[in-house]
Amino acid sequence: MLNDVTFGQYYPTQSFVHRLDPRIKLLALIAFITLLFCSANFYAMAACAVVLFAAVIAARVPFKSVLRSVKGILFILLFTAVLNLFFHGGETLLCEWWIIKIYLESIIFTVFFVLRLFFLVIASSVLTLTTTPVALTDGIESLLKPLTYIKFPVHELALIMSIALRFIPTLIDETNRIISAQKARGADFESGNIFKRIKAVVPILIPLLISAFRRADELGDAMDARCYSNARHRTKYKKLTLGWRDLVAFFVFASLIAGVVLLNIYAQAICPEIFVYIKIR
Amino acid sequence: MSEEYVIECENLKFFYPGSETAALNGVSFSVRRGEFLSVVGHNGSGKSTLARLLNGLLQADEGTVRVLGTDVGDAKNAVEIRKSVGIVFQNPDNQTVASIVEDDVAFGPENIGVDREEISRRIEWALGAVGMLDYRHATPSRLSGGQKQRIAVAGVLAVKPQILILDESTAMLDPKGRKEVIDVVKRLNEEEGMTVILITHFMEEALLADRTIVMNKGEIALSGTPEEIFESGETLETFNLSLPKITVLCNALRGAGMRIDNVLRPEELAEKIAENFVNRGISGGQSQKFTPKPFESAHEWDVEISDLSFTYSKKSPFAKKALDGIDLKIGEGEFFGVIGHTGSGKSTLVQHLNALIKLPSANKKYRAKKPKNGQPAPVIPRISVGQFDLSDKKCDFKALRASVGMVFQYPEYQLFAETVFQDVAFGLKNFNKNLTPEEIAQAVESSIEIVGLNYEEVKDKSPFDLSGGQKRRVAIAGVIVTKPHILILDEPAAGLDPKGKNEIMELLHKLHREWCKTVIIVSHDMDEVAENCTRACVISEGKVFACGHPADVFKRADELRSLGLDVPMTAKIADGLARRGYIIDSDCTLDDFSEKVIGLFNGEGEGNA
Repeated sequence: MLNDVTFGQYYPTQSFVHRLDPRIKLLALIAFITLLFCSANFYAMAACAVVLFAAVIAARVPFKSVLRSVKGILFILLFTAVLNLFFHGGETLLCEWWIIKIYLESIIFTVFFVLRLFFLVIASSVLTLTTTPVALTDGIESLLKPLTYIKFPVHELALIMSIALRFIPTLIDETNRIISAQKARGADFESGNIFKRIKAVVPILIPLLISAFRRADELGDAMDARCYSNARHRTKYKKLTLGWRDLVAFFVFASLIAGVVLLNIYAQAICPEIFVYIKIR
Repeated sequence: MSEEYVIECENLKFFYPGSETAALNGVSFSVRRGEFLSVVGHNGSGKSTLARLLNGLLQADEGTVRVLGTDVGDAKNAVEIRKSVGIVFQNPDNQTVASIVEDDVAFGPENIGVDREEISRRIEWALGAVGMLDYRHATPSRLSGGQKQRIAVAGVLAVKPQILILDESTAMLDPKGRKEVIDVVKRLNEEEGMTVILITHFMEEALLADRTIVMNKGEIALSGTPEEIFESGETLETFNLSLPKITVLCNALRGAGMRIDNVLRPEELAEKIAENFVNRGISGGQSQKFTPKPFESAHEWDVEISDLSFTYSKKSPFAKKALDGIDLKIGEGEFFGVIGHTGSGKSTLVQHLNALIKLPSANKKYRAKKPKNGQPAPVIPRISVGQFDLSDKKCDFKALRASVGMVFQYPEYQLFAETVFQDVAFGLKNFNKNLTPEEIAQAVESSIEIVGLNYEEVKDKSPFDLSGGQKRRVAIAGVIVTKPHILILDEPAAGLDPKGKNEIMELLHKLHREWCKTVIIVSHDMDEVAENCTRACVISEGKVFACGHPADVFKRADELRSLGLDVPMTAKIADGLARRGYIIDSDCTLDDFSEKVIGLFNGEGEGNA
């Protein structure tokens, strides 16, 4: 049942994007998403698309696995796109049928909407495909560091995330073992109505919970034995360092931000009116 | 205080909350700097409690512990004590906090505020000391049990303790992993002068120490060098411990008039036996031949496997071939052993036998592919168990699973119901919905009784209130309750102490006689297979490496060793004797082997020179 779960999406190669600092990648993703929603015309959107496309190429991950992430939201994407297309409203009426009115503006809006979500999902999957969950945790911990000044337990949070990541494969193995064992005793998880199925999960859940608590207990002892305490004078071995790649990425994104801002302001002057989305609002 | 002793315990008493009986009842002992001390005792003898008292994870109710002169009882000293006393625990999965080896090793030093450069040096040193430097950037969850446990040792070493405690750290490992860990510990003791306290229930490991303490019911029952301890012979068994097999053999040979001191290594024993032969004027020879009964097939409940291959996570970057063209026959009535080390594919193999892993051709969507032009038709894996054809999608898999019982490793971890009765009845109710409550009660009662528990006593108890050994019995009862014809057990004795092991093996023989036709055990313990099985096969890298009577399988000792597998002790001694010109042809069990050696000693061999 869970045999095919390979945890996370990480695709192991050693590309330019893989070797970027996780903090840079996280910040770049945040910046990129913000830019997507700030792009006011197709030129700005095209600039985003170019950078995203370059990132996908530089990440050297198979295109298929990038697109696979889109598959998950395809239905929602299409559904909302159709709703927007039919009911968004606007000024330039193109055609009308029953209660459905399609306006030029709603077409433009829908295209923007679809592109934004599409790019957003692809950009996020570039991050998860090229960054191990561990590196992501390190990155998040490092980015949240300033919050320690307001007594936010950043280290504890990071440790919790790290332990959770560490135990996911262990618990998946355990779950598989329990499922097999109960199947061998004739348990049936695949047929019957919803109540029967929920009831069928009990023989998996209870042993799993008990085992998780047992593991937590033992891990607590092991951490204690290795001098874990809430003392403040803790050091950190792993230190993220920025390299030339991060500098390159920084400049790419700095120019993208500048580019989108400039295009938002000046593209109106150089492009046909129809591509200027901002005018509609 | 004297500088010589690093640990001094005086009259330690400890009660677990809510328990009337003392887990420790007046324990006093001291440990010298650089000493290698082993602590043995049955499950529940208080040895793990002792370990926790030594580094302050638990506090004694009475008595004092001093580590390097510091009182462990004072909570202020907790961190100082833990810096000096490192503990490695039992379960290799439950001791790592990070998903990358070096991050995990860094955890201890980080906690005590070591600076970065020094942490880096310590990681290198600690991983080097356990021989895992190449795995610095690896993920613990993909390592073997022995490797994981070595990482746990490294994680403790990185704190630079002066005393290393291993609390049954080898109990859950296979023999290869056990050897890895023990070798590391032995080297740390000899080369780095580390004080080591090894808590174990493997007698063979206890032998490696300078001094051994035997715990029984919260007290120190015996203390002395390993040789002295094992001299005491039968008294050990009253403490629920067993003598090492080699000591049993020494005693048997001595009983037959051979002059043999207690030795602890097979090679030494072979030498001693040869000396005895020479002194008798027997310069070479062969014992009475052993001829295994030929394998006869064609019964109602035979198992036949042909061309079985299996790959995990097919078509993904993580694809892993587990089985590669297995051909195997297991006859009705056999006590069959499947041998192989962790990851050899042996568990995957047995999970095919009750269709937990279905053959591709048994899948609903399966369509036979036509062979491409000029290419031979692809081989189709086939398995038949009795009249069940597992490659047929119309096979009644539910009926199959009722006939082929499967007990997984550590089956007690799959208990879930409120009472023992309900848990045991679970399988029965699943397989047969039309049983009356009386029929169910009867079946449950007889299966609980046959696994050696008292039905009236346990039926209404929660399975979680039972002891470890009892839980395992309940779990086995929950599988055999359907009266399966074939019973498969994956490492049935894993993690038990010697007495528990013997009891489980006895139980399996009883089930084999009275309950099931065929018993198949998956094991990595060669002695267990040699002593119990009528036939065995060795699985290595997804292939059947050898199959036959254990005696025939273990004749290929050198090849087995090159696969990273061990051979039974008797085969090792026989090997040593063969090099000296004495051929002992036994069925590899201890009894038969000693009989054959004694026979040769008394001049009853074949063709004596």
